[in-house]
Amino acid sequence: MSDCIIRVENLEKIYGKSSVKTYALKGINMQIPRGSFSCIIGKSGHGKSTLMQLIGGLDRATSGNVFIDGVNISDLSDAKLSELRAKKIGFVFQFFNLLENLSALENIQIAMMFGGVPAKEQKKAEDLLKLVGLFDKAAAKPNELSGGQQQKISIARALANDPDVLLMDEPTGNLDSESEKDVMEHIYNVHKTGKTIVMVTHNNELAKQAEHVFEIYDGKLKVV
Amino acid sequence: MNVLKLVARNLLSRKGRFLFTLLGITIGMASFVALMSIGQNMRNEVTAQAYSLGGNFVIVPDDLCVFNQIGIITGDAISERLDFAEFEKIAAIEGLDVIPHLTRRMMIYNPTAGAQQPTTVTGILPAETKTFRNWDMYAGEYFSSQDHEAIIIGQGIMNRFDLGVGDELEVRRGEMFTVVGILASTSSNDDTNVFMPLSVAQRVFDREGSVSYMSATVDDMARFDYFYASIHSVANNVNVATNEQLLGAVLTIIGSVNVTLQAVAGVALIAAAFGIINTMMTAVYERRREIGIMRAIGGRSSVIFRIFVIESGLYGLLGGILGIVVGIIVSVFAAPIIQGDEMLMGLEAGVNIDAVLIVSAIGFSLVISILSGLFPAWKASKLTPVEAIS
Repeated sequence: MSDCIIRVENLEKIYGKSSVKTYALKGINMQIPRGSFSCIIGKSGHGKSTLMQLIGGLDRATSGNVFIDGVNISDLSDAKLSELRAKKIGFVFQFFNLLENLSALENIQIAMMFGGVPAKEQKKAEDLLKLVGLFDKAAAKPNELSGGQQQKISIARALANDPDVLLMDEPTGNLDSESEKDVMEHIYNVHKTGKTIVMVTHNNELAKQAEHVFEIYDGKLKVV
Repeated sequence: MNVLKLVARNLLSRKGRFLFTLLGITIGMASFVALMSIGQNMRNEVTAQAYSLGGNFVIVPDDLCVFNQIGIITGDAISERLDFAEFEKIAAIEGLDVIPHLTRRMMIYNPTAGAQQPTTVTGILPAETKTFRNWDMYAGEYFSSQDHEAIIIGQGIMNRFDLGVGDELEVRRGEMFTVVGILASTSSNDDTNVFMPLSVAQRVFDREGSVSYMSATVDDMARFDYFYASIHSVANNVNVATNEQLLGAVLTIIGSVNVTLQAVAGVALIAAAFGIINTMMTAVYERRREIGIMRAIGGRSSVIFRIFVIESGLYGLLGGILGIVVGIIVSVFAAPIIQGDEMLMGLEAGVNIDAVLIVSAIGFSLVISILSGLFPAWKASKLTPVEAIS
């Protein structure tokens, strides 16, 4: 693949430092083309989320390298890694992970703040709310929103700093079928704007919509 | 959205804990401010009284204890162990202007308190003392002779006991005297004294030929050593103390008391600081997920650290401000109680709040709370996103 935005080389993640070690990932190699929609499937506990966390710089690998847009994030300092997460990557989690004491609008604005956008230039957050169709819920706290609405706020937050890559860990795993359909529609719309999307899912039907599908089994990866 | 707004949201979303932690630092700061303001007022009052004694130095019995030294400054009664004959010998020294005082206690009915309260009555040489102290009259008349059977009161006594010219006071059982005049305020302990001619006081209190102490002034303080030697050569069993020496002795005692009181306030502050540490540590534990989310969406560890330090700093800032307000209120209520202390009854009760105290109290509170927040903030900033979200 000529224009890979994500490249993973010999990635290993081992939990535990004593004699009892757990091999979560074993020599993973993968490449994700820029602008593509990729899915990682596999059973629970086989390393999908761990791989996603390492690609997103949420955790550090035991060995191997992850390149995002040509930059080896394994070598980055904690501050640089934070900057990467703020500007280059957007996360969408299964359980939404919105900040409970902030409103829907503020949950997007805080991501902009971490991306270095001054408070008076955070108007774009309102546009993102409009994009996910929840402008009228700007002042609502997460506990005042349905699961589907929370996930759409989460997608808007992921787009706050216009990242190149969106990493989604089971984004519909906690939603009913109607909300799932609604959320996926927004995700496909985001993809159409040229964003690279990597999505972890249990749902094979959703995976079928992806351009690239990787299956992870017992810490090892294979292209489906 | 900015860090300050985020901090405000964090604090206000946990109102109960916020208020109780704030209360801790407020109480600590309030006690600190109250004790400092009352203590500083006491120092200022004592200093002012010492310099208003009207002389460059005092002549006292040579075995006068510190308690009695405080009495001279606060206008309290001290024992009368000096012989009037000694006064006459000392008064004869050329270049020395000296006046004697005989100080005793009397009780006056306070209509506000509804009870008899003690005050000091001082026997003086009317003409000499009026000149020495540069007194003016506020109302009524001054003593007409050295043995005028009457009393004159200071304005503080007039106000405290609601007295006026013509009122009668029982100076000692069966000894009634009429108030013939009220002195103009001198902003000294003269304001809180009752005066009568020395010869009359000696008779009333059965202290014929005795005085308590003498105030002296000299034409040239550079010749103090000469006068010191002269006084000792003509009089026995006397000691000479300059106002500065007297003041130094008293301030040393007040300073020790102040340090002790401040140490007590310090303990309250340390307890409040641990309250902040506890609150912030609990917050770090409870907000692991929140910290993890912030880290995951790009929050640097330095920003997380800053958020927690600002949160704890706000406790200090608000606690400091509230502590000053509460401290002033406590001081205002506590000052009259302190004034009720017999030893300090000659001092003007009050509080001393100046810009330095306010700024230093807020600064102190801020520094303590920020220091208290450093460790929890460091713990929070060291959480990795995965560790915090998991």
